[in-house]
Amino acid sequence: MNPYVSFSIPAQAEYLDIVRLTLYSFATKAGFSFEEIEDMKVAVSEACNNAILHAYEDNENGRIDLRLEHDGEHLRITIKDHGQSFVFSQEGIGIPEQQEDIKDLAVGGLGIFLMEALMDDVRVSTGNGSGTEIVLSKRLSRNGEYV
Amino acid sequence: MAAEKLSIDQRETDKAIVLHFHGELDLEVAATLFRDKLETVVYRTEKELVLDLTDLSYIDSTGIGILVSVLKIRNERKAALTVQNIPAGVRKLLEITGISQFLLAGVKGDAH
Repeated sequence: MNPYVSFSIPAQAEYLDIVRLTLYSFATKAGFSFEEIEDMKVAVSEACNNAILHAYEDNENGRIDLRLEHDGEHLRITIKDHGQSFVFSQEGIGIPEQQEDIKDLAVGGLGIFLMEALMDDVRVSTGNGSGTEIVLSKRLSRNGEYV
Repeated sequence: MAAEKLSIDQRETDKAIVLHFHGELDLEVAATLFRDKLETVVYRTEKELVLDLTDLSYIDSTGIGILVSVLKIRNERKAALTVQNIPAGVRKLLEITGISQFLLAGVKGDAH
Protein backbone atom coordinates (compact mmCIF):
# COMPACT_ATOMS: atom_id res chain seq x y z
CA MET A 1 0.00 0.00 0.00
CA ASN A 2 1.24 3.48 -0.80
CA PRO A 3 2.04 5.71 2.13
CA TYR A 4 -0.81 8.04 2.92
CA VAL A 5 -2.04 10.46 5.56
CA SER A 6 -5.72 11.09 6.07
CA PHE A 7 -7.36 13.61 8.33
CA SER A 8 -10.35 15.87 8.45
CA ILE A 9 -10.84 19.49 9.42
CA PRO A 10 -13.87 21.60 10.30
CA ALA A 11 -15.00 23.38 7.14
CA GLN A 12 -13.87 26.74 8.49
CA ALA A 13 -11.21 29.05 7.11
CA GLU A 14 -9.21 29.17 10.35
CA TYR A 15 -8.19 25.51 9.89
CA LEU A 16 -6.78 25.94 6.37
CA ASP A 17 -3.25 26.49 7.66
CA ILE A 18 -3.30 22.97 9.15
CA VAL A 19 -3.92 21.57 5.68
CA ARG A 20 -1.04 23.54 4.20
CA LEU A 21 1.36 22.60 7.02
CA THR A 22 0.47 18.91 6.78
CA LEU A 23 0.83 18.96 3.00
CA TYR A 24 4.21 20.68 3.33
CA SER A 25 5.50 17.96 5.66
CA PHE A 26 4.14 15.09 3.59
CA ALA A 27 5.34 16.44 0.24
CA THR A 28 8.81 17.16 1.66
CA LYS A 29 9.14 13.53 2.75
CA ALA A 30 8.02 12.48 -0.74
CA GLY A 31 10.86 14.50 -2.30
CA PHE A 32 8.98 17.37 -3.93
CA SER A 33 10.72 20.68 -4.60
CA PHE A 34 9.92 23.93 -2.83
CA GLU A 35 8.16 25.32 -5.90
CA GLU A 36 6.09 22.17 -6.42
CA ILE A 37 5.01 22.24 -2.79
CA GLU A 38 4.04 25.91 -3.07
CA ASP A 39 1.91 25.05 -6.12
CA MET A 40 0.19 22.23 -4.26
CA LYS A 41 -0.44 24.39 -1.19
CA VAL A 42 -2.36 26.90 -3.30
CA ALA A 43 -4.29 24.20 -5.19
CA VAL A 44 -5.39 22.32 -2.06
CA SER A 45 -6.40 25.60 -0.40
CA GLU A 46 -8.54 26.49 -3.40
CA ALA A 47 -10.31 23.12 -3.18
CA CYS A 48 -10.94 23.64 0.54
CA ASN A 49 -12.08 27.23 -0.07
CA ASN A 50 -14.76 25.91 -2.40
CA ALA A 51 -16.00 23.49 0.23
CA ILE A 52 -16.05 26.18 2.92
CA LEU A 53 -17.73 28.82 0.76
CA HIS A 54 -20.17 26.70 -1.25
CA ALA A 55 -20.75 23.26 0.26
CA TYR A 56 -21.80 24.14 3.77
CA GLU A 57 -22.65 27.82 3.56
CA ASP A 58 -23.57 28.77 7.14
CA ASN A 59 -23.50 25.25 8.58
CA GLU A 60 -20.70 25.32 11.15
CA ASN A 61 -20.70 21.55 11.63
CA GLY A 62 -19.44 20.75 8.15
CA ARG A 63 -16.19 18.83 7.76
CA ILE A 64 -13.67 18.36 4.97
CA ASP A 65 -11.93 14.99 4.60
CA LEU A 66 -8.43 15.02 3.18
CA ARG A 67 -6.13 12.25 2.05
CA LEU A 68 -2.54 12.70 0.89
CA GLU A 69 -1.04 9.73 -0.93
CA HIS A 70 2.31 9.18 -2.60
CA ASP A 71 2.92 6.35 -5.05
CA GLY A 72 6.55 7.10 -5.79
CA GLU A 73 5.81 9.16 -8.89
CA HIS A 74 2.78 11.26 -7.96
CA LEU A 75 1.34 12.95 -4.95
CA ARG A 76 -2.42 12.61 -4.94
CA ILE A 77 -4.57 14.86 -2.77
CA THR A 78 -8.23 14.02 -2.23
CA ILE A 79 -10.52 16.72 -0.81
CA LYS A 80 -14.06 15.65 0.00
CA ASP A 81 -16.95 17.47 1.56
CA HIS A 82 -20.38 16.15 2.49
CA GLY A 83 -22.38 19.28 1.82
CA GLN A 84 -24.33 20.66 -1.06
CA SER A 85 -22.76 19.66 -4.31
CA PHE A 86 -21.72 22.60 -6.35
CA VAL A 87 -21.14 22.57 -10.06
CA PHE A 88 -17.89 23.96 -11.32
CA SER A 89 -18.38 25.98 -14.42
CA GLN A 90 -16.51 24.26 -17.21
CA GLU A 91 -16.01 27.71 -18.62
CA GLY A 92 -13.82 28.42 -15.63
CA ILE A 93 -11.28 25.84 -16.74
CA GLY A 94 -8.64 27.06 -19.12
CA ILE A 95 -6.71 30.21 -19.49
CA PRO A 96 -8.78 33.21 -18.45
CA GLU A 97 -9.53 35.51 -21.28
CA GLN A 98 -6.81 38.12 -21.43
CA GLN A 99 -8.42 41.36 -20.35
CA GLU A 100 -7.34 44.68 -21.72
CA ASP A 101 -8.94 46.89 -19.13
CA ILE A 102 -8.91 46.85 -15.33
CA LYS A 103 -12.70 47.27 -15.36
CA ASP A 104 -13.05 43.83 -16.98
CA LEU A 105 -10.94 41.93 -14.43
CA ALA A 106 -12.82 39.32 -12.41
CA VAL A 107 -12.63 39.53 -8.62
CA GLY A 108 -13.65 35.90 -8.09
CA GLY A 109 -13.84 32.59 -9.92
CA LEU A 110 -10.10 31.99 -10.12
CA GLY A 111 -9.98 28.98 -7.77
CA ILE A 112 -10.70 26.15 -10.21
CA PHE A 113 -8.47 27.79 -12.77
CA LEU A 114 -5.56 27.95 -10.34
CA MET A 115 -6.02 24.26 -9.47
CA GLU A 116 -5.86 23.37 -13.17
CA ALA A 117 -2.83 25.55 -13.77
CA LEU A 118 -0.81 24.38 -10.77
CA MET A 119 -1.48 20.63 -10.79
CA ASP A 120 -0.92 17.97 -13.45
CA ASP A 121 -4.41 16.53 -13.10
CA VAL A 122 -7.65 17.72 -11.50
CA ARG A 123 -10.76 15.54 -11.22
CA VAL A 124 -14.00 16.80 -9.76
CA SER A 125 -16.91 14.50 -9.00
CA THR A 126 -20.21 15.45 -7.48
CA GLY A 127 -22.85 13.03 -6.30
CA ASN A 128 -26.54 13.57 -5.77
CA GLY A 129 -26.41 15.56 -2.58
CA SER A 130 -23.46 13.58 -1.28
CA GLY A 131 -20.94 16.34 -1.61
CA THR A 132 -18.05 17.05 -3.90
CA GLU A 133 -14.77 15.19 -4.23
CA ILE A 134 -11.75 16.78 -5.85
CA VAL A 135 -8.64 14.75 -6.63
CA LEU A 136 -5.48 16.72 -7.38
CA SER A 137 -2.34 15.04 -8.71
CA LYS A 138 1.21 16.31 -9.05
CA ARG A 139 4.03 14.42 -10.68
CA LEU A 140 7.42 14.34 -8.96
CA SER A 141 9.76 16.15 -11.34
CA ARG A 142 13.06 15.56 -9.52
CA ASN A 143 14.40 18.96 -10.33
CA GLY A 144 14.17 22.34 -8.72
CA GLU A 145 15.12 23.59 -5.30
CA TYR A 146 14.58 21.09 -2.53
CA VAL A 147 13.63 21.72 1.05
CA MET B 1 7.73 26.42 8.76
CA ALA B 2 5.02 28.00 10.86
CA ALA B 3 2.08 29.65 9.19
CA GLU B 4 2.15 33.37 9.82
CA LYS B 5 -1.12 35.23 10.11
CA LEU B 6 -1.37 38.30 7.98
CA SER B 7 -0.46 41.62 9.49
CA ILE B 8 -0.26 45.00 7.81
CA ASP B 9 1.97 47.88 8.89
CA GLN B 10 0.73 51.27 7.79
CA ARG B 11 3.09 54.19 7.26
CA GLU B 12 2.06 57.59 6.01
CA THR B 13 4.18 60.29 4.38
CA ASP B 14 3.25 63.66 2.91
CA LYS B 15 2.43 62.08 -0.42
CA ALA B 16 1.71 58.42 0.18
CA ILE B 17 0.12 55.80 2.39
CA VAL B 18 2.32 52.68 2.44
CA LEU B 19 0.87 49.32 3.50
CA HIS B 20 3.48 46.67 4.20
CA PHE B 21 1.99 43.14 4.08
CA HIS B 22 3.49 40.39 6.27
CA GLY B 23 2.40 36.75 6.33
CA GLU B 24 -0.30 34.73 4.58
CA LEU B 25 -3.29 36.23 2.77
CA ASP B 26 -5.85 33.43 2.56
CA LEU B 27 -9.60 32.94 2.93
CA GLU B 28 -9.42 33.30 6.70
CA VAL B 29 -8.15 36.87 6.60
CA ALA B 30 -9.61 37.86 3.23
CA ALA B 31 -13.13 37.77 4.68
CA THR B 32 -12.45 40.70 7.02
CA LEU B 33 -9.32 42.30 5.59
CA PHE B 34 -11.05 44.81 3.39
CA ARG B 35 -13.46 46.03 6.05
CA ASP B 36 -10.90 46.05 8.87
CA LYS B 37 -7.75 47.30 7.22
CA LEU B 38 -8.24 48.56 3.67
CA GLU B 39 -11.55 50.39 3.56
CA THR B 40 -10.27 53.37 5.48
CA VAL B 41 -7.33 53.97 3.14
CA VAL B 42 -8.45 52.75 -0.27
CA TYR B 43 -10.90 55.64 -0.71
CA ARG B 44 -8.36 58.26 0.35
CA THR B 45 -7.64 59.58 -3.10
CA GLU B 46 -5.58 62.59 -2.04
CA LYS B 47 -2.48 60.43 -1.55
CA GLU B 48 -0.80 57.66 -3.47
CA LEU B 49 -1.53 54.19 -2.05
CA VAL B 50 1.50 51.87 -2.03
CA LEU B 51 1.09 48.15 -1.40
CA ASP B 52 4.47 46.70 -0.43
CA LEU B 53 4.27 42.91 -0.72
CA THR B 54 7.90 42.10 0.21
CA ASP B 55 6.91 39.85 3.12
CA LEU B 56 3.70 38.41 1.70
CA SER B 57 4.53 34.71 1.99
CA TYR B 58 1.34 33.23 0.55
CA ILE B 59 -1.72 34.28 -1.41
CA ASP B 60 -4.73 32.40 -2.79
CA SER B 61 -7.56 33.36 -5.14
CA THR B 62 -9.48 35.18 -2.41
CA GLY B 63 -6.40 37.29 -1.67
CA ILE B 64 -5.89 37.96 -5.37
CA GLY B 65 -9.54 39.06 -5.46
CA ILE B 66 -8.79 41.64 -2.76
CA LEU B 67 -5.85 43.07 -4.71
CA VAL B 68 -8.08 43.28 -7.81
CA SER B 69 -10.78 45.05 -5.79
CA VAL B 70 -8.28 47.65 -4.57
CA LEU B 71 -6.98 48.11 -8.12
CA LYS B 72 -10.50 48.62 -9.47
CA ILE B 73 -11.47 51.14 -6.80
CA ARG B 74 -8.31 53.20 -7.31
CA ASN B 75 -8.66 52.99 -11.09
CA GLU B 76 -12.28 54.18 -11.04
CA ARG B 77 -11.27 57.18 -8.97
CA LYS B 78 -8.05 57.90 -10.89
CA ALA B 79 -6.27 57.64 -7.54
CA ALA B 80 -2.59 56.67 -7.63
CA LEU B 81 -1.72 53.08 -6.73
CA THR B 82 1.65 51.34 -6.74
CA VAL B 83 2.18 47.65 -6.00
CA GLN B 84 5.81 46.91 -5.26
CA ASN B 85 8.23 44.14 -4.25
CA ILE B 86 6.03 41.22 -5.32
CA PRO B 87 7.70 37.95 -4.20
CA ALA B 88 8.38 35.37 -6.93
CA GLY B 89 5.81 32.84 -5.69
CA VAL B 90 3.04 35.45 -5.49
CA ARG B 91 4.03 36.90 -8.85
CA LYS B 92 3.72 33.49 -10.48
CA LEU B 93 0.06 33.24 -9.39
CA LEU B 94 -0.66 36.79 -10.53
CA GLU B 95 0.85 35.98 -13.93
CA ILE B 96 -1.15 32.75 -14.26
CA THR B 97 -4.36 34.63 -13.55
CA GLY B 98 -3.53 37.46 -15.96
CA ILE B 99 -3.49 40.14 -13.27
CA SER B 100 0.24 40.74 -12.94
CA GLN B 101 0.54 43.32 -15.72
CA PHE B 102 -2.23 45.45 -14.23
CA LEU B 103 -0.82 45.36 -10.71
CA LEU B 104 2.70 46.14 -11.90
CA ALA B 105 1.42 49.05 -13.99
CA GLY B 106 -0.59 50.35 -11.03
CA VAL B 107 -2.69 53.46 -11.44
CA LYS B 108 -1.33 56.85 -12.33
CA GLY B 109 -3.37 59.28 -10.30
CA ASP B 110 -4.62 62.68 -11.28
CA ALA B 111 -2.12 65.27 -10.13
CA HIS B 112 -3.21 67.06 -6.98
